[in-house]
Amino acid sequence: MLSIVNFSKSYKGGKKAVDSLNLEISSGDIFGFIGHNGAGKTTTIRAIAGVLDFEEGDILIDGVSIKKDPVKCKKITAYIPDNPDLYDHLTGIGYLNFIGDIYEVSQVDREQAIEKYAGALELTSNLGDSISSYSHGMKQKLAIISALIHKPKLLVLDEPFVGLDPKASLTLRNIMVELCRDGSAIFFSTHVLLVAEQLCNKIGIIKDGKLVAYGPTKEVKGDSSLEDVFMELIETGNSIM
Amino acid sequence: MKKVIRLVSVQLWAMLGSMFAIGEQKKKKTDALYVGFAVFLILMSVLSFIYAYGTGMGLKQFGSIELLPSLFMSLTSVIVLFTSIYKVKGTIFGFKDYDMVMSLPVSHSQIVASRLILLYAINIVFVLIIMVPMMMAYGILMEPGIQFYIFSLLMLFLLPLIPIIIASFLGTILTYLSMRFRYSNIVYMIFSFLLLIGMIIFPYFMGDSEQALMEMSQMINRQINNIYPLSQLYFEAVTKGNMVSLLIFVLVSLLAFMVFSMVVGKVFKRINSVIMTGRFKANYKLKGLKSSSPLKALYIKDLKRYFASPIYVMNTGFGVVMLVIGAIALPFIDISKISGEFDITGTIKDLIPIIITFCIATSSTTMASISIEGKHIWIAKNLPITGLQIFASKILVNATIIAPALLASVFICFIMEMSIIESLIVLLSALSFSLFVALYGLVINLSFPNLSWSNETVIVKQSTASMISVFTGIGMAGVQFLLMMVLGNAISGILIFIALLWILNFALYKRLSNSGGRQFEKL
Repeated sequence: MLSIVNFSKSYKGGKKAVDSLNLEISSGDIFGFIGHNGAGKTTTIRAIAGVLDFEEGDILIDGVSIKKDPVKCKKITAYIPDNPDLYDHLTGIGYLNFIGDIYEVSQVDREQAIEKYAGALELTSNLGDSISSYSHGMKQKLAIISALIHKPKLLVLDEPFVGLDPKASLTLRNIMVELCRDGSAIFFSTHVLLVAEQLCNKIGIIKDGKLVAYGPTKEVKGDSSLEDVFMELIETGNSIM
Repeated sequence: MKKVIRLVSVQLWAMLGSMFAIGEQKKKKTDALYVGFAVFLILMSVLSFIYAYGTGMGLKQFGSIELLPSLFMSLTSVIVLFTSIYKVKGTIFGFKDYDMVMSLPVSHSQIVASRLILLYAINIVFVLIIMVPMMMAYGILMEPGIQFYIFSLLMLFLLPLIPIIIASFLGTILTYLSMRFRYSNIVYMIFSFLLLIGMIIFPYFMGDSEQALMEMSQMINRQINNIYPLSQLYFEAVTKGNMVSLLIFVLVSLLAFMVFSMVVGKVFKRINSVIMTGRFKANYKLKGLKSSSPLKALYIKDLKRYFASPIYVMNTGFGVVMLVIGAIALPFIDISKISGEFDITGTIKDLIPIIITFCIATSSTTMASISIEGKHIWIAKNLPITGLQIFASKILVNATIIAPALLASVFICFIMEMSIIESLIVLLSALSFSLFVALYGLVINLSFPNLSWSNETVIVKQSTASMISVFTGIGMAGVQFLLMMVLGNAISGILIFIALLWILNFALYKRLSNSGGRQFEKL
């Protein structure tokens, strides 16, 4: 579903944010992307989502290059950034309807999706209010609902649990599992290693723009906890590939 | 005071940084921009000098040259007042870094003072461009003593204070009144338009029928004082060297600044809290949703975004509103009464296409339509749509805003009893120019985007894109005028202007379709 081939991205000034990254995510995978602050997680995620332009390497979604046919890739992808700044001048329902129109989701399908996910995340009663009045968590919930409206084949999330209350966090985890059971793939970054350990069947650890661990969760962590493995990799500079 | 200065310096640098923010921040491009800005300032100063010198010569003929400084001071003050009213929302109230500023250990009145100084900083460049060349022109024509220059310079820096305070006072009242309504932004815009139009029309009702009998210098003096009463103090101080007038002017300006900061400081938090919080009902029940095409969805979203920003509407809609009001008022105006013994109907007819072009030139919404996306740009970039669809939506919004101006043009042609051919040519010119304004604004904004703004005023009024866009538009009105003058025939001039516009429109369209999408992806 997602192939990242020799992807590199440099900052202005020459320093590489991501250096020759190679990854493969299949349908049904929940991939956890872990790394310290500034390791290159968000850069990678933004490039997959088609938000960040890049020159080196390629990113293929369902076999299509995001560089060559971004619209086709975006049709089957959904992206939630770490800080979802949504259109403040719209109401919650106005925003969801806008997304439904852009992805050309039928009226029946979008109503069903909104009813299901807004209900699960307890946001239905707030959908008539202006987004400008929303808290960070409410915006996060709205971004999640908008990402699910068109049943994406690939869901890309940057720190999705930040700002969510415990109940909403659990709901999101259940939604992620359900989506993967239905054949979608999920790529998400997180600092909550316990969640990654429990939720992901694949893990990638990035350090200073380079992948230092990658594979099935069981293989990456072995008999240790993911936290121990992460700390060791970050401090020693070893790799598990 | 130290805290106020510190606040101002941070906000001022942020504003200047935003003003000169350009796409990739390439050094060469930034240098070119600084040079361009410097050339623009020099050019405007030269034009200002020519205007001041010309006016001074005219006044000298009537033996009233001493009125030149106060005349320019009044006009500058009125322009500062007009252009500052709708900057209040966004600068004093509802500005983006409100939370950060309010969390600092400074009093509300200190914050208000810092925001007022920010408004002052925006205006002082304009004041310098007008007043310094005037001082030079007056110096050449009158050869006054050194005292004139000292007093003028001293008062020059205080000159924008009172107009800014009056504008801020009116802006505060507008904000206070409009925040009580559900659609407070719309109400604010309507109030602002009414206030500005009222301020333009009011002096005409104050006209004195016996003015013609008065001595010319007396009449001009009285008119200046009608425009701006403080000009009398300025007149006394600068031209007569009256120290008391100077002191009163300085005291009134500084006192007004302090009193306003303290008074508005009392309601500052309350007004901002209401503006920032928004309405919260939490009683929504899911009901049937209406679906539409992606382009229509984008268009509605962009149109709503436009009307959510009073400064954007006020700045790009004023030309259209004035043209519509002018068209409505035209049947009630007796042109022969204005012109007296001269028949100027033909001249006015010839000028109509220029006036229409000028009004449309100030109505480019596309020049800030990319920048206004700001931190929300990730949404548009992540959606499965092409750059051209995004551009089409923004051009459609601009067309919607200009549409009333086109209707007004048709009406004006009808009232002025133009032939069908003349009317069609005028309308075609307006249509072609509307398309130019929309396409050009978009191309310029893509080349000079600013997505990191913290105040909408910066991208709508002070950004590189907005300045280039508006001045090119006005320059195009000048080109149209020149063509009409050179050819000596209005219709031939307009026809060539239309042909020129279509060549430019085609080139701009090719530019957008070839590299616009790529530019958008790189944002």
